Amino acid sequence: MHHLTAIVTGASEGLGKCIAFELANYGVNLVLVSLPESGLPQLCDFIKKNYHVNVHKIETDLCRFENYESIFNELKEAGIRVDILINNAGVGNFALFLDKSLAFYKSQIQLNAMVPVLLTRLFLEQVKDNSPCYILNVGSLGGRFIMPQKQVYGATKSFVRYFTNCLRLELCDTNVSVSLLSPGGINTKPELLVLHNSLKGLSRASILEPEAVARIAIKGMFAGKKEIVPGRLNQLLVLLDSLLPAEIKDIIMKRRMKKIVSKNTHIQSAHAESLLKESMP
Amino acid sequence: MKILVTGATGFIGQRLAIKLAKQGNEVHALCRDPFHPYLAEHHNVKPFKGDILDKQSLLNAIKDCTQVYHTAAMAKMWTHDKSEFHRVNVSGTRNVLEVAELSGIEKMVYTSSCGVIGPTINEPLSENDPRITGFPIDYERTKYLAELEVNNFAKRGFPVVTVNPSRVYGEGPVTDSNTVSKMVTGYLKGTWRIIPGNGEQIANYAYLDDVVNGHIAAMKQGKIGQRYILGGEDISFNSFFDVVQRVSGKKKRLYHLPQPVIKFYSYVEWLKTTLTGLPPVFLPEFADRLKYNQKYTSQKAIEQLTYKITPFEEGMERTVNYIRKCII
Repeated sequence: MHHLTAIVTGASEGLGKCIAFELANYGVNLVLVSLPESGLPQLCDFIKKNYHVNVHKIETDLCRFENYESIFNELKEAGIRVDILINNAGVGNFALFLDKSLAFYKSQIQLNAMVPVLLTRLFLEQVKDNSPCYILNVGSLGGRFIMPQKQVYGATKSFVRYFTNCLRLELCDTNVSVSLLSPGGINTKPELLVLHNSLKGLSRASILEPEAVARIAIKGMFAGKKEIVPGRLNQLLVLLDSLLPAEIKDIIMKRRMKKIVSKNTHIQSAHAESLLKESMP
Repeated sequence: MKILVTGATGFIGQRLAIKLAKQGNEVHALCRDPFHPYLAEHHNVKPFKGDILDKQSLLNAIKDCTQVYHTAAMAKMWTHDKSEFHRVNVSGTRNVLEVAELSGIEKMVYTSSCGVIGPTINEPLSENDPRITGFPIDYERTKYLAELEVNNFAKRGFPVVTVNPSRVYGEGPVTDSNTVSKMVTGYLKGTWRIIPGNGEQIANYAYLDDVVNGHIAAMKQGKIGQRYILGGEDISFNSFFDVVQRVSGKKKRLYHLPQPVIKFYSYVEWLKTTLTGLPPVFLPEFADRLKYNQKYTSQKAIEQLTYKITPFEEGMERTVNYIRKCII
């Protein structure tokens, strides 16, 4: 596995950062993509200092169309060919549909749905025919279950799920392995740390740490798994989802919706949001 | 000069209060219990009954002060009501920041923790290194969220500096946060008989007096909005107990407890706590941490704050003598 190189989008924080560490653990060279001023240079220096891998950084805004091609052009000029594509960058949301702006949804759909498709297209153009290649698309359990307050996010993740499964089918006889990662809640951003820790019982128990998700994800990707669902509880949820009749699932979700809109959660998410606004550049 | 110290009965706070008092400052010592046995006895230390969750009491205590050291925190492994970590460490810190800003103090030093910086891969971590794990430990998570609050205030121009002590040991009371003294006291009494895993796990140990001096130096010359690791030597569990053995002259046979055994035991403890509400001895998230080293470099503090590190053996000798004299 010495000569493999991976490109990871959204690498400066959260799951992307932990995936970068995990790949470095496997001795995989890295191309890390993230927004400017998101701490990418520090992360790259840190990985170079602590692991024996090459790290190339690309600071770019993936919401801008002209930036996609320039990524692969830049790599070509640097003589780097990538064997692994991790489509990780994405924007979550946890709000009623009318509470977010047009601009937010536009960039969310672009980043979560369009970017993985186009990067996959560009990635496949440059892979060799005979060496093993891997694509890992980060979806979400939200792409499987209808979850309240995740309308657009869940829809983009459903899109990623369909795209990934279909592409896997198309490439099944090639050297390219395509996997979907469908995690539940992950403790990443500050506002999620606050929100997740206000949860109780099973919802709290289903939340995982990013390093655990990254470990399971990369292992599953190299094993060529179709869909990777980290956490036993989440796997149980997936099983239940396939067994329960749609009517019962509807009732459960409606009850959850009521709970979520209850005052208590509203205050907490408002606090979490304000924390986000203040802490993020 | 009048100086507010929150957490003045804590392991770091009490030592800091007495040092500031001896330098001739009037120390406003905020404490929930003004008759607390750990409160420094000095004519310059004025106890103010209060709580960082009660802003009015903060306003009373901060009156006429020009500096604030905010050392108060919920520095425990576990507490009955988990939300207390957030309330004390995050909301409490926001209260102190708001009151300090309102009363126009000159500068504030916030006591964070190396726990915010987290575990190590290979090289010792410095202030700007990324964190490699999430925040499963309540204390670390809420101290991180508190640092974000502090950064927000620093960004809008409030003069605050953060210091991050590592695992602090030294001459002082055995409080909940003072895990080193707990271990050493246990070793001397013969009740502590284990070394976790193979004993090669490394942590960073900071001598209390160094940390106190680091606080005062951060107040004097720390750069606004920056954080400074106040650490000591990186020492493995094996060398830790070798040193304790050497300086105490007391040889006790210690048993290595494999990490999986510790992890299993931590689940038993977790189950016990979940079912009965009794305090746990150990929790799974702490067992997981034993797989990592926690090595830190204090280079930035050495360069910018003229921070000095007392050699571990010297500091441990004084600590052992103190524990023998005052605690056992």
